[in-house]
Amino acid sequence: MIARLDRISLLAVPALVFLAAIYALPLMMLLAKSFQGPEGTGISAYIEFFSDPYNLNVLWRTIRVALLTTLLALLIAYPTAFAMARANGIWLTVFLVALVLPMSLGVVVKAFAWSILFRANGALNEFMQWIGLTSGPIRMMFTETALVVGAANVFLPFMVLPIYAVVRQLNASLPDAAASLGATPLFRFTHVTLPLTLPGVVAGAAFVFSLSISMYVIPSLIVGERQQTMSMLIARSFLYLRDETLGSTISAILLAIAVAVVLFSSWLAGRLGARQ
Amino acid sequence: MTNVLTATKPPAMQTPIERNYLDVSGVGKAFRGVRVMDAMNFRMAKGELVSLLGPSGCGKTTLLRIIAGLMAADEGAVVLGGRNITTLPAHKRNISVVFQNYALFPHLTVAENVAFGLRARGTAKGDTAKPVAEALALVRMTEFADRPIAALSGGQQQRVAVARALVVDPDLLLLDEPFSALDRKLRETMQVELKAMLRDRGITAIFVTHDQEEALGVSDRIAVMNAGRIEQFADPSTLYARPNSPFVMDFVGLSTRLHGTVTSHDAGMITVKTAIGDLHARANFPVGTAVLLGVRPELVAPDPDPQMNSVTVPLRDVMVLGSKTVLHGVANDADRVLCELPGIRSGFSHGQTATLGWSIEDTLVYEVAG
Repeated sequence: MIARLDRISLLAVPALVFLAAIYALPLMMLLAKSFQGPEGTGISAYIEFFSDPYNLNVLWRTIRVALLTTLLALLIAYPTAFAMARANGIWLTVFLVALVLPMSLGVVVKAFAWSILFRANGALNEFMQWIGLTSGPIRMMFTETALVVGAANVFLPFMVLPIYAVVRQLNASLPDAAASLGATPLFRFTHVTLPLTLPGVVAGAAFVFSLSISMYVIPSLIVGERQQTMSMLIARSFLYLRDETLGSTISAILLAIAVAVVLFSSWLAGRLGARQ
Repeated sequence: MTNVLTATKPPAMQTPIERNYLDVSGVGKAFRGVRVMDAMNFRMAKGELVSLLGPSGCGKTTLLRIIAGLMAADEGAVVLGGRNITTLPAHKRNISVVFQNYALFPHLTVAENVAFGLRARGTAKGDTAKPVAEALALVRMTEFADRPIAALSGGQQQRVAVARALVVDPDLLLLDEPFSALDRKLRETMQVELKAMLRDRGITAIFVTHDQEEALGVSDRIAVMNAGRIEQFADPSTLYARPNSPFVMDFVGLSTRLHGTVTSHDAGMITVKTAIGDLHARANFPVGTAVLLGVRPELVAPDPDPQMNSVTVPLRDVMVLGSKTVLHGVANDADRVLCELPGIRSGFSHGQTATLGWSIEDTLVYEVAG
């Protein structure tokens, strides 16, 4: 049995070698740079980063945007996953295509399409003035709201699919059993459906949060240089400032947040799933 | 244990509401335009144990779900204990259901599963401990209280499902194929146990099943269902001895089946010409009617008296089953003669011809499409 297992686990070797060479090694080298300042090895780069209010502002904005994006994606994805789990045949195909096809479109095309909708003389502003909701055009492009909406749009499939996978596995007679035991629709949701689908929510939230905290193209296109995020700071450090220490320091901080989120969510998913 | 088959409360002692405790009237249901149930009427008394018996697709689960409120009827009314519950949602009916797959909550422990109905009814967490402990004791699962559901066997899961359904003191208990996931030995033990438990506590319950032995064993009365209708609703002995249609005869127990045509008719006695000779039965069908004759296998015996129905058939099979020996005689392609003798009987063998007979009074006769 052990010999057999070992032989099968050899199949992971190509992936491990690939990841080690292309991902882990360069990343380690990059992180090592963050500890090498002009005055020698140390954590001075980190102290410097955290003592600048501008950087703290960018860090907080990045986390806030990622949290809001995750929340918005969750609110849209959760009911969608239930509708998908109920659908079958042609409707399921329609759902999946509608979800996956936009991923192949690319963020650049999407961002320019949004600008048609959101700009000052765009369709949404014209409509809101026409129905009398607003008296003049309001600013929607280049705002944090636009960024959150755009990011949630792009990352939606990463929230829907894990939740859908869990909902699909749900025993359909559990809500019936709860109802026959006297549970109101709300009690059924809070005590049966929600706890049983939480592992999917945790997985989806971890995906979307990790993606949004490190996104670069979407904020560059939607909010531009006006409101920097961590990834934009990294790019600026490397590309314009040519400050490798600063760039790798910010990278390390971003990586630490992403690792913490992934570890926490796998721990949470493990706890939630342990009993089932 | 007293004779549980007949130990029901005499109807005279019950009030009219208790006699028609559950009253389903004129219920109909269609799925995607296909009528699966039409003008269904079904009544049972308080404290009765009734089975809905029928093949899959006969509408028994539909009827159960309509009674439970898990499915809305297209028309008709459901009245329970004098209260019209037709439009009441499931969670306000106080009708517990034991599901075929038990539908235990996988994220909760055994005790939390049993407490669920109490919590849903607003009982404070601290006040559920005593009733939950009692319910678990009733199904002898006390030591499993803190186990996760995944750690239980099928039989243990069923006990938890029953405890969870009973702890809320339901007005009616519905059980959907409750024994079908258990192996045969365990199934028989659980049937006896559950029946005694429901009887002791005066629970009114409906079992949905496709297993005729289970229905005969657990119920006071059985409603045999076919194609969205109740074919016959009677106590087990009537159902077995006097089935009112070929469907009921075939679905409840085994029997000899012989097709034939009425050739004479005299004073409530008919003579039927079959492929293996003339037979008699008590009935009033005109000459020329196509009929099906039946008789239960344990009423058939070798070496019949001259005044009995008698046939001589080749034996296709002789099955020695220990407590009984079954002879399977062939009449023709569609027809057979079954004879069940108590104990181990030697002297019969495959391919041999046997003369078997039964009383004219025991002969069942049904008109069939010619």
